[in-house]
Amino acid sequence: MVVAGVDVGSLYTKALILDSAQNVLSYEIIRSGFIYQEAASSCLDSALKKSGFNSHDIAYAVSTGYGRARVSSANEHISEISCHARAAKWLFPEVHMVVDIGGQDSKVIYVGDHGQVLNFVMNDKCAAGTGRFLEVMAEALSVDLNRMGDFSAQSRNVVEVSSQCTVFAESEVISLLTAGSNREDIIAAIHRSIIRRVMAMVGQLGKKERVTMTGGVTKNSGVLRELEKSLDTTLLISEEPQVAGALGAALIALSKAPNRNHLN
Amino acid sequence: MEESLKELFNFSGDPYTHLAEWKEGSGKKVIGLTPMYLPEELIHAGGMLPVEMWSSNEPITVGHAHVTPYYCGLTRSIVDDLLKGKLDFIDGILTYETCIQARTIMLIVEKNCNIPFMESIFLPNQMTNPLTRPYLIESLEILKARLEEFAGHEITEESLRESIVIYNRNRGLMRKIYDLRRRRPGLINVKEMVPIVHSSMLMLKEDHNAALEKLVIDLEKRPHEIDGRPKVILVGSLCTAPSTEILKLFDDSGVVVVDDDLYTGSRYFVNDAVEDGDPIEALADRFLARNPPCATKVDSEMNWSDYIINMMNESGAQGIITLIQKNCPPHMCYSPDVMRKLSEANIPELVLEVEHEVVSLEQMRTRLQAFKETLGGV
Amino acid sequence: MEEIKINRLETTKKIGPMINQYWEKLRQAPAQGKKTAWCAGPLLWMTKAMDMPTHEMPAYAAWAGGRHGAPELLEAAENDGFLPESCSYHRVHMGLLANVRDGVPIREDMQLPIPDIMFTAPLCPEMAHLADSVYRRFGVPVVSMHCPTPYREADIERHTDWMERELREVIVPALEEVCGRPFDNERLREVLIQLKEAALLRNECWEFFKLKPSPWTLWDYIVSMGPFVILAGEPGGVEYYKELKAELEQRVEQGIPALTQEKYRVYWDALCMYGWFGVIARKLASLGINAICGRYPWELFPRPWLIDTEGDPIRAMAELIGEIRRVYAGELYPQIVAELVEEYDIDGLIMFSFRTCKNWSMGQQDVVMEIERRYGIPGILLDADGIDPRYYSDAQIDTRFLALAEMMEGRKKLRQRD
Repeated sequence: MVVAGVDVGSLYTKALILDSAQNVLSYEIIRSGFIYQEAASSCLDSALKKSGFNSHDIAYAVSTGYGRARVSSANEHISEISCHARAAKWLFPEVHMVVDIGGQDSKVIYVGDHGQVLNFVMNDKCAAGTGRFLEVMAEALSVDLNRMGDFSAQSRNVVEVSSQCTVFAESEVISLLTAGSNREDIIAAIHRSIIRRVMAMVGQLGKKERVTMTGGVTKNSGVLRELEKSLDTTLLISEEPQVAGALGAALIALSKAPNRNHLN
Repeated sequence: MEESLKELFNFSGDPYTHLAEWKEGSGKKVIGLTPMYLPEELIHAGGMLPVEMWSSNEPITVGHAHVTPYYCGLTRSIVDDLLKGKLDFIDGILTYETCIQARTIMLIVEKNCNIPFMESIFLPNQMTNPLTRPYLIESLEILKARLEEFAGHEITEESLRESIVIYNRNRGLMRKIYDLRRRRPGLINVKEMVPIVHSSMLMLKEDHNAALEKLVIDLEKRPHEIDGRPKVILVGSLCTAPSTEILKLFDDSGVVVVDDDLYTGSRYFVNDAVEDGDPIEALADRFLARNPPCATKVDSEMNWSDYIINMMNESGAQGIITLIQKNCPPHMCYSPDVMRKLSEANIPELVLEVEHEVVSLEQMRTRLQAFKETLGGV
Repeated sequence: MEEIKINRLETTKKIGPMINQYWEKLRQAPAQGKKTAWCAGPLLWMTKAMDMPTHEMPAYAAWAGGRHGAPELLEAAENDGFLPESCSYHRVHMGLLANVRDGVPIREDMQLPIPDIMFTAPLCPEMAHLADSVYRRFGVPVVSMHCPTPYREADIERHTDWMERELREVIVPALEEVCGRPFDNERLREVLIQLKEAALLRNECWEFFKLKPSPWTLWDYIVSMGPFVILAGEPGGVEYYKELKAELEQRVEQGIPALTQEKYRVYWDALCMYGWFGVIARKLASLGINAICGRYPWELFPRPWLIDTEGDPIRAMAELIGEIRRVYAGELYPQIVAELVEEYDIDGLIMFSFRTCKNWSMGQQDVVMEIERRYGIPGILLDADGIDPRYYSDAQIDTRFLALAEMMEGRKKLRQRD
């Protein structure tokens, strides 16, 4: 018997299979598309296949993410805030604060000693400060999204991208290019701009060590470095930060599965 | 929904139709007031119906040719409604400088509409100055004179006192209903409670009193079970009623609202005006009272965080949901300090920014669910 | 096409150092055992009458913006929880308070000491909120008086009577208590005399705006507002205006205009973009646009002959505040703009829609329509903030200025044809 966690995000859907001993058996990440139910099923099927189990073996399934209500195979849906907190605590027992920069929102979550959410601050009104912002900028600069970190590491000059709005920031970037700034410096400025938004959220309730970063944007080494610098800390980073939500959902599923003591 | 509640629910849901109908039936004048503290009793004593102006039911279009989008939804919506002719039944508009936005609305109204009675009066926005009270009383006397001129007759002390009594009765009845909700959490949901208060801002108080008397009986008859959901109180949403969609989100989110410090909530009725003595002074004193504490009345002795913490404790709630209307300058000036105080006291608070154009319901749903999980565990 | 340049005045170069020095003196005051006051609103002439080193809310915020110190202060405020839609002048001060309370780092020359007392006669509610925050965070006593915004011109007299009473019964006793001596009416009279003399000279300088081309720009005047506000009562105010007038006279003699080519003359509504002062001046100049006048810069007692320096100074002070409030009166807004348009032969309006400051922007669109109807001149709205960079978009501003220039050119051609 196993449990499943499914995180249906606006850009990506993630599914993770956990066994009763809390071993991660498998996970899968696919693009969500616009039919969340289908994304959830195919992602879950794929993860199951990798794990060697099938859907009958799932004792409990929890869904999370924006599309959580559309996952018919889930027994329950839980917010991604709670899921991220649970996963972070399991991965790093010393963690008390999670910075999650996802596709369409960013959040700071304060985690208690048992992985419960103490408090959270969210930016979900506006793309600036999220993965979407980076996608738009990468496109505007003709840079591969995965290489943004490498570019910003080469930055030697400080320029500013200060617009509040992604659309205006894009025109600001074009103005900078026209004025002769190079892409390395601009990308570094974009990273700083994202982290400024995060710091404004952190400022509201303060920094609580240790800190971990989750969400797809964690793969951007430039953003990661900038966050570490601003928080003056060494971040705890998991192997696959993008599946943190699904992991947390699976852990919660495990705590609610019936006869969990008899799961093999 | 009981008939008595339906009447109030419908009035609150469509003030345009109902007010126009009422006006035709009664032959009386309707005076629109910009929120929040203009002395309704004075207009009522003048034989006219004072209504607290409300946020419109559609996106702003023509209004944006006169007010830019970064003004609060209510200001834009009043202008929009006026220009669209949806408020043609209004005989007058009375305003004061509640906040910096209410200031020049009169200019736009005068230029673009033909409303018989238009006044902007001075109500103080700073409370801790010994001359505030006499200054306010003089202002109220001037307002009374202008209303008498428009109404065509004197507003006697006696009639003003009578209006105060009727208004106090209304406040008392609403307090009774709130008390019922505190004792039986879940008996009345938020989607019902807000229209109960909001309709009072739109109806003749005598009519609303009659409706409330019936409603109290009906509500007491409602079956009630113990509600196991985490308890919260709602705070804020100054000057505007939160939209029905948002209220429904609260009701469906897994928490139960047991009390509130909303504008279309307890703030409207927590304090009464004194019924004997000089009625103008009574109205002035009601305005100057520290109850409820208000971000638009700068008062160094006012402590909003203590007030809501107290409310939370007395109602047995575990957390606070604060609604900030987007672009509300007074609320924005106080919310950081309130947030800090609540955080220091380890009180869970969820701050939601709401706006006229209803957007991001999904995001709000996520936040509410996360907050509920914070209070009650997953 | 030859690039149009601004001919900078010599006299105005003196103001910057004078103002910097003023804030530095204020910063040093506590170390010298002097009590300091903060003012939100037009009460600084009262504190100056008691020789108290004093701050003034918009003066500080504008100066911080102009010295490029604002972004750091605003960030400090945002980290403290203040929403970016709120008044940037208020947030700049909250950043300042965060520096004192929590040690949030800000530039040294932006720092100010927490005052011993705070006075407020709010020109807008945010000023009252600022005072309240200073009390709540630091326990500084706040002495407030009402400074209502008139809607109708007829309201001003009644308000003035009350302001006189509050000055006497509330402000004066508070000043006497904190300074430990009786209020110095004669010093106030001196300050008023100096203000009047400087303002009369200033009005003579305003006459030069009527010349086409004008020998100076609105930006020259705005930096010259110092002697009426933060430098009031300090030596050098009257001398400054004597020098300025002489330089303007000299320019006229020598035929030197402010812009090497003045094609259009515009009215600028609301406050200035202090964070981009030079940038905006240059953008406009490059299009041949000279900014000439505005409601906000004309708020400082435009009729100085009304200042009564012989009678009771407190009454004169109340009347001065009433005179300042006149440009805020909603009823008079279109009329005041019309008067300026006529007096200075204006070709177009730039209505600066200061994102976070709604003190000046309500009704701007209606005024544009009204002036267009009356005088056939175009107007644009400019959407930005005075000091907050998150609302500044270079490309949008360039587009609008260019569009205005094209519209003014088009109207000119039409008039020439007729």
